Amino acid sequence: MSTTTFIRTEDLKGLVADLRAAGVGVAGPARTSDGAVDYRSINAFDDVVLDAQPRNSLKQFFLPPTEPLFKYQRKGSDVAILEISATFPPRVIVGARPCDAAAVDVLDHVMNWDYKDEPWFGRREATTIVSFACPGGDRSCFCTAVGLGPDATRGSDLLLVPAGDGYYVEVVTEKGKRLVDAYPKRFGAGAGVDATLSYREKARASVEGHVPARPDVIRQWVQEHFEDPFWADISLRCHGCGGCAAACPTCHCFDIVDEPETLDAGTRRRNWDTCQTSVFTAHASGHNPRADQCGRCRQRVNHKFAIYPARFNDILCTGCGRCARTCPAGQDVTEILTRIVAMATGQGGAA
Amino acid sequence: MNVYQPFRVRVEEKIDETADTRTLKLKFLDPDVANTFDFKAGQFGEYSVFGAGECTFCIASSPTRKGYIECSFKTVGKVTSAMKDLEVGDVMGFRGPYGNAFPMEKMHGGNVVFIAGGIGLAPVRCVIWNVLDERAKYKDVTIVYGARTVADLVYKRELEDWGKRPDVKLWTTVDPGGETPDWKGQVGFVPAIVEKAAPKAENSWAVVCGPPVMIKYTIPVLKKMGFTEDRILTTLENRMKCGIGKCGRCNIGPVYVCKDGPVFTAQEMAKLPNEF
Repeated sequence: MSTTTFIRTEDLKGLVADLRAAGVGVAGPARTSDGAVDYRSINAFDDVVLDAQPRNSLKQFFLPPTEPLFKYQRKGSDVAILEISATFPPRVIVGARPCDAAAVDVLDHVMNWDYKDEPWFGRREATTIVSFACPGGDRSCFCTAVGLGPDATRGSDLLLVPAGDGYYVEVVTEKGKRLVDAYPKRFGAGAGVDATLSYREKARASVEGHVPARPDVIRQWVQEHFEDPFWADISLRCHGCGGCAAACPTCHCFDIVDEPETLDAGTRRRNWDTCQTSVFTAHASGHNPRADQCGRCRQRVNHKFAIYPARFNDILCTGCGRCARTCPAGQDVTEILTRIVAMATGQGGAA
Repeated sequence: MNVYQPFRVRVEEKIDETADTRTLKLKFLDPDVANTFDFKAGQFGEYSVFGAGECTFCIASSPTRKGYIECSFKTVGKVTSAMKDLEVGDVMGFRGPYGNAFPMEKMHGGNVVFIAGGIGLAPVRCVIWNVLDERAKYKDVTIVYGARTVADLVYKRELEDWGKRPDVKLWTTVDPGGETPDWKGQVGFVPAIVEKAAPKAENSWAVVCGPPVMIKYTIPVLKKMGFTEDRILTTLENRMKCGIGKCGRCNIGPVYVCKDGPVFTAQEMAKLPNEF
């Protein structure tokens, strides 16, 4: 798919109104009551805030922080398993950042690895992602170092880039085309790709150079340096809070727990988890194969930049920079990756 | 129905192996599942008590015995405590089978040496019965099993059976100080007894499972006897939640124990970082 079209800002407002009128859930980056910007449900396009990166990612729309897997009801010695409805209401996300849209696509690999994660793909199929090319990032952004960019189309169904009195629209997927086809009056002729170039250039320039674009070098160094003082060094800064994983669009580790609601009934739930805590790997015996924070910090870098690439030929990171912005101790992924590249290419890595 | 939803299984029998270790025999409630459920020796599953949660164990019974599965567990945490509280007739959950398996076909025509310590006999027992139920397909069978004390030996009734069989060479041992006055087995650590048992390495496979320290000192003994690393097999366990490669918990370096394992050769183990 690579057709293009155009939508005027007024029509974009109209499109969101049309979708809401049709009963389709719409979400986008919008202000919370405390003034921050989060991806959340919106009623009108006027709610959308495009000039700030949302605190959260799109992850929760597909892998909710907590989600019921099924309910159980005990009757004497027997137990009934009550399935959770497997239908997912249609939703359109308007104003996704390309790094966040890409993350969802990256996660499709693991969610479909031999066993299909039905809740994930149920929501994937029900959701259309309309991304807006990023206006540019801050010091923590490095999407271009992981093969993406402020106007990357990966994971998006439509990509909108500001141009003239509206947005140049790249129709990326069949699902995106279905949305355009469903509201033909909202789309039409307008500014062409040339009108988007300076916007794209400026955005790209703002994120380039924060991390060397050498994912292959990073992968190889991490694979070859499981034992290295570097891991202990970076772990000294880590409190093990897992804030990085919660903010991350690609961190997907989860726990499965039972929550009894009465003595005889309850719900088995899947909850977000993080490899940054000691209990994550602790055995009931007390043995913990990843006994210190050094191993946990290594695991996070290893999983993203070596394990996932080796397994799925893809990087489990989209360079959004949220982990660096979120960390209360200033752990900075751009610094970690830059140091790894420096060590790997013989240019020293001392802090 | 999603992939995390378990089959319902009923406790048919409970057997106390030791003061803190129990075996449950489980039958599938759904007759379709009961008739079609199949697994391979070495595979594992997620066992659950509704309200307490899920826990990962191997399937301790042999795939040659159809219609039920067994698991053996030590009462250590929340789920195993809840499992210990189950009565015969109670319903619990099981998801699986997951993971890879022992290469039974490759082992056909060979000698098999089983070496286990403590509760590590559970996954090995699955393979032992698989071999004994198809005894003609294998040559010499040697079992070396040790526990800290006589009271810690599991599957005692089966150890007796195996000891009586002319087609099995059984060596049981307990750690020094763990013997009782009437103990007739060996006294000593498992690696030393393996050396004493001296199974021949030619055309042989070793299946080893037990505490990490036992495995660590047994592999060099086997190698000294001439076993090659690709014929020394073990099964690992790491904490898991999903069992199907998604929850991110069981990595040992690049390896997913749930998907690449739980069965590994000593050759594969040697390449793993020290994270298990």
